[in-house]
Amino acid sequence: MNIIKTLLLGIILSAPAFAQQNPQLYNLPSPYDRYSHYVATVRGGAGIPIGPFSSSYIDKPTLRNYSFSVDWVLQKPISIGVEVGKTFYSQRLPRAIYQTTDGDISAVQTRTIDLMPIQGVISYYFAKPNAMIRPYIQASVGADLLNYSLYYGSLADQLQSVKLTYGGAAGAKFLFKRDGSVGADIRIKYNQTSLNYDYVDKGVGQINATVGLFYRWW
Amino acid sequence: MKYTKILGLMALIGVFAACQNDPLKDLTVEDSQVFITNHDESVNFTQFKTFSIVDSVLIIGNQGSGTSLSDTDIQFLNTVIQKMKNLGYQYVSPKENPNVGINVAQVRNAYLNVVSQPNPYYGNYWGGGFGGGGYFPGYGYGYPSYYSYVQTREAYWYLEMLDFKNPDVQNEQYNVIWSAMIRGNGLFDGVDTDTMVQSVFDQSSYLKIN
Repeated sequence: MNIIKTLLLGIILSAPAFAQQNPQLYNLPSPYDRYSHYVATVRGGAGIPIGPFSSSYIDKPTLRNYSFSVDWVLQKPISIGVEVGKTFYSQRLPRAIYQTTDGDISAVQTRTIDLMPIQGVISYYFAKPNAMIRPYIQASVGADLLNYSLYYGSLADQLQSVKLTYGGAAGAKFLFKRDGSVGADIRIKYNQTSLNYDYVDKGVGQINATVGLFYRWW
Repeated sequence: MKYTKILGLMALIGVFAACQNDPLKDLTVEDSQVFITNHDESVNFTQFKTFSIVDSVLIIGNQGSGTSLSDTDIQFLNTVIQKMKNLGYQYVSPKENPNVGINVAQVRNAYLNVVSQPNPYYGNYWGGGFGGGGYFPGYGYGYPSYYSYVQTREAYWYLEMLDFKNPDVQNEQYNVIWSAMIRGNGLFDGVDTDTMVQSVFDQSSYLKIN
């Protein structure tokens, strides 16, 4: 009889301990906070020419501006990643006469430049990895496969080259649901690509304003 | 796994590179035309009063040369004569010692370019290159050295003005004092002849008798 009482007492006393284990399990930080993980982001939006590039070659913004990036998100408020992108600018000018060493050329110019940057990206975040809104700033540097094509009517003057490119950005990531793996991304990026050819003698400067979707996993 | 990601990125670059666009697809025939003029800046063009012109269009090019006098050619020659008359120059026969002579030519060149294969298409039926699945994982395709030939042609109008009044006696030649090229699309269908010829004279404001 005493033994049964002792056992019952034991079960009753230990019950709170069982009960407490589950809440503790759920109180653990999310795996996204505890472990480094990956984020893949697809972005698209506007490319806006700025600076000498805008004043001397193309000043028309484009919507043909996409990028894809994969970042390794550390437990520190930092991530490192790789981003590849594509931006295509094109602008048609009315017929005009251009004085060149080859003579006076009357033509309709179609000015284009095609940029394909491959950049290493380092980001600094202002909130925990699992925060619903996670603002960040970025710095990036890499190579740009660029294609400068200037058409006089249907005649083309073309330069294809690989040039240094670098940029800085500010943005934020928004989770669609708490602890989820999918969300939205908004970013404003300044980007500069070195180029000295024909009309573009001080590089290609641009602002990319994009919205995107991201997926994260660990 | 690491390599898969890098290769994935490379594949994406390939996709981006393949997304080439044609910025000229909305270019009209008129807008495709380019007019290039050159002149000898040491020459005062007001000293010339009379001109003559070749009796048929010269054909110049790397495929052989000759002369041509099709309906389009006649129309073109007559248009040049009319534009020169409008500027005040007097049209005379070649025997009457014209001050300047005008050559009209069609330049026709054809080029054969060699393009190496393969084209950047990778199917994945046999294991598809980049390390993923299939019958022979990790194997790419060993392409033989195929080459294909692409022939491009260009044809354009070329006009030049020869100075018969001041021949270069020393070198026994007549100097070319003005030249014009008309390039682009729709040059030989006779539709835009008048505006084309007008354009090259419009941008040569130094061609005047006074």
